[in-house]
Amino acid sequence: MAENLRPSPGAPSNDGTALSPQGEGLIDGIPLAKVVRPESIEDLSEIIANEKGSIVPLGARTQTYFGNLLRGADCAIDLSGLRRITEYNPADLTVHVQAGVTLGQLQQALIENNQFLPLDPWNGPNATMGAIAAANAQGPFRAVGTIRDWIIGMKVAEVTGRISKAGGRVVKNVTGYDLHKLYTGSIGTLAIIAEVSFKLRAKFGRTATSIAKAADVSGAARLVASVRHSALEPVACEWVGPENEIWVRFGEHPSAVDWQLKNLPPADWTILEGSEESAAWERLRSRYDRLRPIVLRIVGLPTSTHEIIKEYRPPGWIAHALNGIVLAEVWTAADIWRVREKYRAVIERAPLEIRRDLPTFGLNDAEYNLMNKMKHAFDPEGRLNAGRHVDGERNQ
Amino acid sequence: MRTEITAKLRRILEPASIVEDETELLVYECDGLPLFKHKPDIVVFPATTEQVAQIVRVANEYGIPFLPRGAGTGLSGGAFAAEGGILIELQRMNSILTIDVENRFAVVQPGVVNLHISQAAAPYGLYYAPDPSSQMSCSIGGNVAENSGGPHCLKYGMTTNHILAIEAVTTEGEIIRLGNPAGEMIGMDLIGVIVGSEGTFAIVTEITVRLLPKPQAVKTMLAAFHSVEECSQTVSDVIAAGIVPSAMEFVDAKTIEAVEASVYKAGYPHDAVAALLIEVDGFGAGLDETGKAIVEICRRNNAYEVRVAKDDDERARLWLGRKGAFGAMGRLAPDMITMDAVIPRTRLPEVLVAIDRMSGRYGLAVANVFHAGDGNLHPLILFDSRYPDQVDKIFGMSEEIMKLCVAVGGSLSGEHGIGYEKKDFMDLVFSEPDLDTMMRVKRVFNPTGLLNPAKIFPTRRGCTEIGKHGTTSTAEIGKHVEEILLASPSGRGRRREARARQGAASREGGPGEG
Repeated sequence: MAENLRPSPGAPSNDGTALSPQGEGLIDGIPLAKVVRPESIEDLSEIIANEKGSIVPLGARTQTYFGNLLRGADCAIDLSGLRRITEYNPADLTVHVQAGVTLGQLQQALIENNQFLPLDPWNGPNATMGAIAAANAQGPFRAVGTIRDWIIGMKVAEVTGRISKAGGRVVKNVTGYDLHKLYTGSIGTLAIIAEVSFKLRAKFGRTATSIAKAADVSGAARLVASVRHSALEPVACEWVGPENEIWVRFGEHPSAVDWQLKNLPPADWTILEGSEESAAWERLRSRYDRLRPIVLRIVGLPTSTHEIIKEYRPPGWIAHALNGIVLAEVWTAADIWRVREKYRAVIERAPLEIRRDLPTFGLNDAEYNLMNKMKHAFDPEGRLNAGRHVDGERNQ
Repeated sequence: MRTEITAKLRRILEPASIVEDETELLVYECDGLPLFKHKPDIVVFPATTEQVAQIVRVANEYGIPFLPRGAGTGLSGGAFAAEGGILIELQRMNSILTIDVENRFAVVQPGVVNLHISQAAAPYGLYYAPDPSSQMSCSIGGNVAENSGGPHCLKYGMTTNHILAIEAVTTEGEIIRLGNPAGEMIGMDLIGVIVGSEGTFAIVTEITVRLLPKPQAVKTMLAAFHSVEECSQTVSDVIAAGIVPSAMEFVDAKTIEAVEASVYKAGYPHDAVAALLIEVDGFGAGLDETGKAIVEICRRNNAYEVRVAKDDDERARLWLGRKGAFGAMGRLAPDMITMDAVIPRTRLPEVLVAIDRMSGRYGLAVANVFHAGDGNLHPLILFDSRYPDQVDKIFGMSEEIMKLCVAVGGSLSGEHGIGYEKKDFMDLVFSEPDLDTMMRVKRVFNPTGLLNPAKIFPTRRGCTEIGKHGTTSTAEIGKHVEEILLASPSGRGRRREARARQGAASREGGPGEG
């Protein structure tokens, strides 16, 4: 049963088309008939209202490979012109940004007040906030939540050009339906995110990362288990394979970080802080970029992480070890099918050939039916990022 | 027709699980907000998800409204049968099905009391974080419906941040499962939009919640001030110092007066104009330093007394006063309305002064006890329901408070929900397109509008909720129900009462709040 997920004869080659930022005029092999760049939300509304064909929202194009295959691109809307931080209230711990603001730009503005947004998606600081939200892009910071946990409100442009909002501008709010949660992860297929409001947090008093290398998969599993059973509360815990390195990151009051470092389970830990620490995480991000040709996000449980790695033996992986999520390098469609027999798995990245044949999300019937109805309610003609989400799930 | 419906329900449930007696139905005519009352026509007590699904299918067959209810502690009128119909009481579905210690989650039924989850997880050093003040009685199903908060959501987030998976019965009577115990969203965040939909999208019948390890150490302190401004400034300064308290609660002089005269006596300083209950938790290492930094900030803002709880007993007593404050109000007035609104926390001083002026103008006393850290106000308007003019004034004052909060950049509700109470204020914060889009999403989940009608949306909009065939309004549905049920002997003479009405509000031991 436990076959190795390694190249097999006839495996699709990675031509890079779907992996690197694509040329100005091509997404998923579809030429962009025209690219427009609104400078304001009003512009965005007008452009959409006047467009009768298929519409593709674009951020910094750091993850155009994510989602089911695009079906049409009559009008691509480059949102990089919406790059204003419209309001930042440090004392209220809230910030409101237009969709084209990049994560790097935002963190730079927040650092002045010793605040930050605890997100570190793999697609990096150049990714736009609208796109990170639309794709629900994630990274190692998981103990403090994913982007859905930090968004407090949203303004979107609907397929008619109408602008509507949900949520609010305060940190705690239960007024009306949380439609901003629905837009998060919908890849711009329900509406195009125009502005996002976030709650923020104070920067950690200190961060430190400890890295240890285990002899093998079993040794790494034991080390992860001892972290899990300890009193430690890491903000990230990654199991990187096949090197079997365990990366444990702490972010807290300096004394609490110190206490945690002293109480790490026995192993040969290397402790990194400051610029060394940042550089290490940047390296891990590059490591993620080198996972190919397919990155499969396998969803298990913390206790099943070891089993997933042991059973499918991916040639490379980064696991959010305390969350039971394994980002596994796999090679063929058959590999994906095999994983999906037992686990939920999302295709994070894959060559066109694979994405043509397999659904990105592998939704179950209940999810599919509800999401499909939602898509029809928002975009009955299927013009927004056509085919990318639920509308491309079951037509392979 | 009534006989037919009852007969069908009896095929699903044993007779003891069906309530039709007019007197018994009175128990279910309102939730924790007794200003709005209307009796359901039938109350049912399912024990299984399959039974819930069958009941929903019966309601659909006859086109009558239905809604879920938990412990009935809600404070926005979300769990009363505004249009009559079948009230599905979920209190008997109250089992904790799984506690997975290794993976830190619990699977529970909706009728489980919030606090019972933490109690069951306690032997394993785990707990469920969201802690509405009503946590001793409110149900987790109700928390999911309302996206409930509580004092500790300042650090730990709301209910929505702690729900990993759900099983639910759709408005068509189908059973669906969404999410996974890893909490990993796959596709669109359907759970995110169902949590907080106030029982208008689906009936949640099983919930997987995240469990957190109990913090190593907790430090609780009470700071007393001679002015509201200094107290509010302290809140801002703590946040500006980069400290993330687990709770920061504001208690005013009137609240202290009530608490200290009640069984919830906590030893709060009698002469304080305002006091802050501040709690930090986490690793023992560093917590003393954080506590000292907070005390220093309080002193800098002229706190004349700062008391740090020495042990768990003192800590529990300080919290007893805060959590019992709502119940203690019975000492000051026979009736009370609990308002709930949010403002940016920096606007606290001016809003509190304005509410104080309003209180004088309306001649109604107001006590303030609220979650200052996240700007979640709870003005408690005290009144005497024996005087009708006071009841009228409450509506005027509530509206003014809402408008004030929205004007300073706030919102209508931080944790109690919109329900029936605030639906007509929705257009203070949302435009026509905003509401229209929300209605569109509601139709996806609830195309007939039969599930918990007449909630959340402004009345004029509620009356145009489009049914499956584009014609049925809630008003018509209500009429339809009347016709069906008035035909029964027990329904004769009943009248629709979904109207503002005087009622006893929360007294000691009454319904909870966030």
